[in-house]
Parts: sequence; structure tokens; C-alpha cells
Amino acid sequence: MYKRLNVLLIEDDAIEVMKLNRTISKLQLNHTITEANNGSDALKVLNETEELPDIILLDLNMPKINGIEFLSIIKRSEKLKHIPTVILTTSSHKKDLLECYKIGVSGYVLKPLKYDDYVLKIEKVLAYWSINQLIEF
Amino acid sequence: MSQNQIDILQRALHREKLARKQAEKILESKSLELFKISEELKDVNNKLTSLLDEKTIQLQGVFENINDAYIVIDIRGNVVKMNDTAVHLFGYNIKEAPINVKSLVYKEDYKYAINSFKKLLSNGSFLNYTARIFTKKKQIKWVHINASVIYNKQKKPIAAQGIIRDITKAKFSANLIEKQKKALEKSNNELQEYAHIVSHDLKSPLRSIDSLVNWIKEDNKEKFDVDTLKNFKLIEATLEKMEQLISDILDYSSIDSTNRTQQIDLQKLVLDLQKTLFIPTNISIKIHNKLPTIKGDKTKFQQLFQNLIVNAIKFNDKEKGFIEIDFLEKQRYYQFSVRDNGIGIDEKYHQSIFKIFHSLDAKKGSSGIGLSIVKKIITLFNGDIWVKSKLGEETTFFFTLKKQ
Repeated sequence: MYKRLNVLLIEDDAIEVMKLNRTISKLQLNHTITEANNGSDALKVLNETEELPDIILLDLNMPKINGIEFLSIIKRSEKLKHIPTVILTTSSHKKDLLECYKIGVSGYVLKPLKYDDYVLKIEKVLAYWSINQLIEF
Repeated sequence: MSQNQIDILQRALHREKLARKQAEKILESKSLELFKISEELKDVNNKLTSLLDEKTIQLQGVFENINDAYIVIDIRGNVVKMNDTAVHLFGYNIKEAPINVKSLVYKEDYKYAINSFKKLLSNGSFLNYTARIFTKKKQIKWVHINASVIYNKQKKPIAAQGIIRDITKAKFSANLIEKQKKALEKSNNELQEYAHIVSHDLKSPLRSIDSLVNWIKEDNKEKFDVDTLKNFKLIEATLEKMEQLISDILDYSSIDSTNRTQQIDLQKLVLDLQKTLFIPTNISIKIHNKLPTIKGDKTKFQQLFQNLIVNAIKFNDKEKGFIEIDFLEKQRYYQFSVRDNGIGIDEKYHQSIFKIFHSLDAKKGSSGIGLSIVKKIITLFNGDIWVKSKLGEETTFFFTLKKQ
């Protein structure tokens, strides 16, 4: 059984946000996407919401609070540390990769150049988390 | 007293006289012997004294002529002897006024100096004391000191001697080098970070353009004619080229250092590359001599061989193309060659192809960075690269990697 996911997308690039939304509708998936433009917006969303997201898709390169800072903050929070967080970035920098896994991520996906490749990757990531047993609050 | 008694006494007296004479004789010969020994001792003593004088003169010479400062101090630290170099170094001269080593110690090193002095008295010596001193002219100098205690016959310490070397210049250069090394490391790291950020920032718009182009295509399905669709394909190809360019520049800028800790089996590395690279069916790759296992950096060797092999594939125009990889072990280096029967390279370009952005054929989807990456990696391993080619027929790239 595929579960409908409640996804929090943290991304500052407007076209990237459009891309995920468009991919979801193209694949005819009925996941819910909540958007946040940067780390501090995302923290606000997480603090105000009554229903925590099932997974977080997190960009690394963002203004204000960047991806890695955001990740460190939620991993220190008793309330938020359990949320599976998948990095969605262009950075193939080994340093970033290592840092993210050290702090604790549930995945690290490189944004490809081609839109078609992006659709394929997102489809797989969402399908994987849809069949996972998630903590419900 | 009877005659008999007198006789007895006289005989006893006579015996005693004889015994005394004998004793006197023995005494005489013994004292002669003693005199002889005493003469011999005197002789030895004279010899020793002259030897000692000789040694003292030699020592005096060493003391005056050594390039290092030499001082002798009493156990309270008063300087009792110093050579010219010491006078020159400290600016003080004991012939003019008495000085104590305490007045030479630089304030911040005082504790260290006191501890070292205590150690000197308890252990009898110290080595490699390195600290600052304060000269008469109020200059701060770095010195290196080895010192030892001088004892008297009763094994009581009476003085200490030290050899002092002025290391101010060496210390200064070492500090400067250390500082510059750190600054260089920092700036290298910053450049690295900068390259990654620039690469990210340049790639992001490309991804966006690709998405937008695809959405326009999706949203207008069947509305575009063949030419428009062709132009869209060209936009996508251009984006790909641009992305490759950015990746290559990032790669190029990342080849600044290497660790030579890993043992790399180049034979396996090249065979693995053949599995991951796209090799058209009309092109065959052959390795003539089994490639060696050498110390180095796996990623860099991959980049090295990959760039040469990809070039050989890209610029092959023959119906049956081949790439031959060969290897020779020389005494001080390994020599490799990658030969192909492709389009060849005009001799006038044989130098410039290794410079960055010198692609000869822009149409072939090359950024003009591949060979400069190759050259940079080889330079990193103290090697060399050169090319032999017959235009239209074949090209061989030779390169060397120095043995450690």
C-alpha cells in the first residue's frame, strides 16, 4: 500500500519548487507538498504546524539558515530529530556529503541537469518513502 | 757480675750491632728505590703538565675560534668567561663590567630559563634550550643553548659552561614559512570552496533552463514544427555542454594537492574504466603490457586515463578504431602511452593542446580542459607528457610518472 506523504520542501529557487510540484502532478501522485524558502522559514513552519511532515526534502545552498545549519538544528530538537530528511542538492562536494551523513540524513540526491532525469529520481525517492513505515503523530 | 755474664752480654751486643747494620743496608737500598720512583714520577708529571698545557692551548683556540658564543658561569649565574662571539652576541663584556645571565633572559622566557637552570644543576647538563635573550642594545634574539656543569675534584659543581648559537634568522624564516604555509592552505581551501559555490551557482540556472524548455515542450505538444523541436534539442545540447564545462573547470581547479598513500592497481583501474565509459562498438581497447601498481590517488589516476581514453574515442574517425595502452618501467619513472588511429594532431598544436581552453575541435563537445587536467595531474606526480602524431592517421600520447 502506498501512503500519501506529507512532504516539506525546503528550497529557495522558485523554479526548483515548480519543478517538484510539476513532477508530482506529472506522475499523478497525491502527496502534499508544503513549501519553505529557506531554513528559518522551515523552522517556523515546523514550529507552527500541528501535523509534522513525513519527510523533508532539503536543499543545501540557501540564504539565512543554509541546509546544513537547518539539519543540525532539527537533529538537536527532540520534537523534530526523527523526521527523515533527504538532501536534494547540486553539490557533489565530498565535504558536504560527509557532513550531511555525519549529522544524519536519510538520503542524499544530486539534482541532475536534465528535467527527465529529475523526474525519474524524484519518482524513486517518493516511492521509497511511500512504502516505508513512518512514525505517525 | 761474673765473667760469664759479661761474655753473654757482649755476644748479645755484637748480634744487635750486626742486625742494625743489616737494617741500615736495607733502609739504604729502599730509599734508593724510593728516590728512583720519585724521579720517574717527576718525569711523568712533567710530561703530563706539558700535555695539559698543550690541551689548554688547543681548548683556548677552540674557545676563541668557534662560531658560537661560549660562556662559563659560576653557579650563581655570574659570567666568568666569555669568548668574542659571546661579547658580540650579548653586547656585554665582562672585562668592562660584571654580568649575570639573569639579566640576559627575556621576560616571557624567565620561567623556562629558571627551570632549565635547575635542570642543569641537577642533571649536569641540558640540550636544545631554545628561547629569547635580551641584549645590551635592547634587541631580542633567539638562541639555542647546550650547557653542562663543571665539577671540582670533590665532585661539587663549581661552574657551568654553555655554547650559545644565534638562531634569530633561522627562527624568523621558519616562522615566516609556517605563517605563509598556513595562509596558503587557507587561501587554497577558500579557493576550493569558492570553486564549488561558483560551480553550484552556475549550474543552477542551467537546470532551470532545461526544466523550462521541457515544460514548454510538454505544454505545447504537437503544436511545434520539426525545426522548432530541433532548436529545442540544440538548446538542450548546449546546456549539457555548458554543464560539462563547469564540471571540468571545477575538476581542474581541484587538482592542487594529492596524497600518495594508496596503492593503486592501474591495470584494474583502466579495466574498470572500460566498463563504465561508453565505448562505441567499432572501437577496441587493448592493453599491451600489464600496467603496474603504484602509489597515488585513485581519483586523479582515473581522471588521467579517462580523459586520454575519451579523447581517443571522441577523435576517432576510422571504421575500425583502436586504442592501445602500453607501459614501460624505467629506472626512475614509469612511462605510459595511449595510441589511437584517429584524426591525428597537426604538429603546430603539439604544445598548445595542453593549455587550458585550447580545444582544437569545438564541435566534438569538448571543453578544451581535458588535456590540461591530464597535464596538471602528471605535473603533480613529477612527470611529463608529450605527443607524437601523423595527421589523419594516428596519435600517441606518452606520459611519465616519477617513482617515489
